[in-house]
Amino acid sequence: MILPPGRPLARLLGRIVLHGAWIALALAAAILAGVCIGETAIPVGTVWRTLANKLFDAGHALDRIDQGIVWNYRLTRAIVAACCGAGLAVSGVILQSLLRNALADPYLLGISAGASTGAVLVTVAGVGAGAVSLSLGAFGGALAAFLLVALLARASGGGVGPRAAGQIVLAGIAGSQLFNALTAFMITRSASAEQARGIMFWLLGNLSGARWDNVGMAVPVAVAVTSVCLWHARALDAFTFGTDSATALGVPVRRVQALLIGCASLATAVMVSIVGSIGFVGLVVPHAARFIVGVRHVRLIPAAALMGAMFLIAADVLSRIVVKGQVLPIGVITALVGAPVFALILVRRRPAR
Amino acid sequence: MMLAAHDLGWSARGAPILRGVSLEVPEGETLGLIGPNGSGKSTLMRLLCGVLKPEAGEVRLAGEPLARMSRRRAAQWLAMVEQQAETADRITVRDAVELGRTPWLSPLRPWSAEDDAIVAEALAVVEMSGLAARDWATLSGGERQRAHIARALAQRPRILLLDEPTNHLDIHHQLSILQLVATLPVTTVVALHDLNQAMSCDRLGVLQHGRLVALGKPQEVLSPALLRDVFGVRASFLTDPADGARIIRFHAVS
Repeated sequence: MILPPGRPLARLLGRIVLHGAWIALALAAAILAGVCIGETAIPVGTVWRTLANKLFDAGHALDRIDQGIVWNYRLTRAIVAACCGAGLAVSGVILQSLLRNALADPYLLGISAGASTGAVLVTVAGVGAGAVSLSLGAFGGALAAFLLVALLARASGGGVGPRAAGQIVLAGIAGSQLFNALTAFMITRSASAEQARGIMFWLLGNLSGARWDNVGMAVPVAVAVTSVCLWHARALDAFTFGTDSATALGVPVRRVQALLIGCASLATAVMVSIVGSIGFVGLVVPHAARFIVGVRHVRLIPAAALMGAMFLIAADVLSRIVVKGQVLPIGVITALVGAPVFALILVRRRPAR
Repeated sequence: MMLAAHDLGWSARGAPILRGVSLEVPEGETLGLIGPNGSGKSTLMRLLCGVLKPEAGEVRLAGEPLARMSRRRAAQWLAMVEQQAETADRITVRDAVELGRTPWLSPLRPWSAEDDAIVAEALAVVEMSGLAARDWATLSGGERQRAHIARALAQRPRILLLDEPTNHLDIHHQLSILQLVATLPVTTVVALHDLNQAMSCDRLGVLQHGRLVALGKPQEVLSPALLRDVFGVRASFLTDPADGARIIRFHAVS
């Protein structure tokens, strides 16, 4: 049964290079657009020259302010947006596939709410006394929320099968409500008016704080999570007919579930800790991607990552230009765009039966 | 022995489902498992393929304990066709059958022309080649069952486990699937509901209240006494004038 891996492996490598190249190109174009478009439009040439100056010390003569805006604000913002979009979309793909539920996404299953609670616990309530970072708090909260939701779903008769699909969504709603209430409780109790306003803004999703240290966090996480999922693409496919079927197909189900759900929680937690909780990306983008490239994860995961990245960059651009002189929370944009698109997909994908 | 179970036991929420089941299946045999509803057939099937871990006893594949094999290696040995495995995903028949190659592939051992050939052959065996591009949602129950069997065959297993493969099918498809199973060149364990259909197996195991109460040739196992004790029916045996085969007719015990 074991074949000489020469030709198929070479073909695989070729495919990775080819698709990797155009995905990188599309991503770069999206980021470039995200940098150029804004309340003050910045010409592409200025962006190029800034990049050349910063990366290769090209020494172009440029307006210091323009250069600062491009390098320190717009570029970091666009990159963080891309990473968040990709991370959340891939998390959505994982959860939808492993839980066999089209409605699963980090937001709906309470993971985002848990991450918010964790982050607020650290920043406002001062848990960990400075030793625990906001991201770590968000990660802990995300994991706690997911465990709680998973246990609740199991206790309510979940597990496998079509009934469990409904149970985990109900459990997720309960979990979200609980963690949102905890967050609100802590904010009203401990936060000053100034802090509270800032946190509420952050909770709705806000990219304006994105700087290079956030980029250093978001890029590795997004790349790592996407790669791990891509590595397990075949295992994710094997869940098509449920967990028992996956076991019978030779997938170590528990291990794969733990690893990939851990990845989804990590990605969500890190993204929420940087930009707040942004809904709808993890739900809508995987469905849109499936609509275009089909259900096989080898294609679905890169497609979802790319579309998530582009979607969030576009949403961020919109959030900056829709209302003059004001930046809308990005969560508002993703939901305003995402909900109708999702409705459209629901209607168009109505099963034939 | 190709497949051996020794003293298997399993319980759900404290209630014993299966107790002390031992059986051996030699290479090439078709073993039928019969028993009333809730007698533990499905549980035994799931233990045999390793989806469930036995609480007591062990399963061995060609002498090697199943519990010590990796999932991947176990899946290269045995394939399972579940009673009802459904999906809401938009996949084609070919997609479903290609899943059978999962235990043979890895990121470093990608899909090859040989896998294409194996999938095409599996589709041909179940006579689904013409339907390969069809949407899963448009298939009838019988077509889905045949696609599941093709998926299991694409796994190239040495042992095939089928849990009531003829459930919910019309009589034509029941017969064609049983005929198909009988001709497959692998060791097979098949849980069945229809006792007349079970007559065509090489040997039969009878489960009652989680215990294996009989194991042997169909003619010896399916005695009037066993049918009364296990299934609660009175049976009369008829002979089909067409081919001389024995047929059981069932009556309620009055």
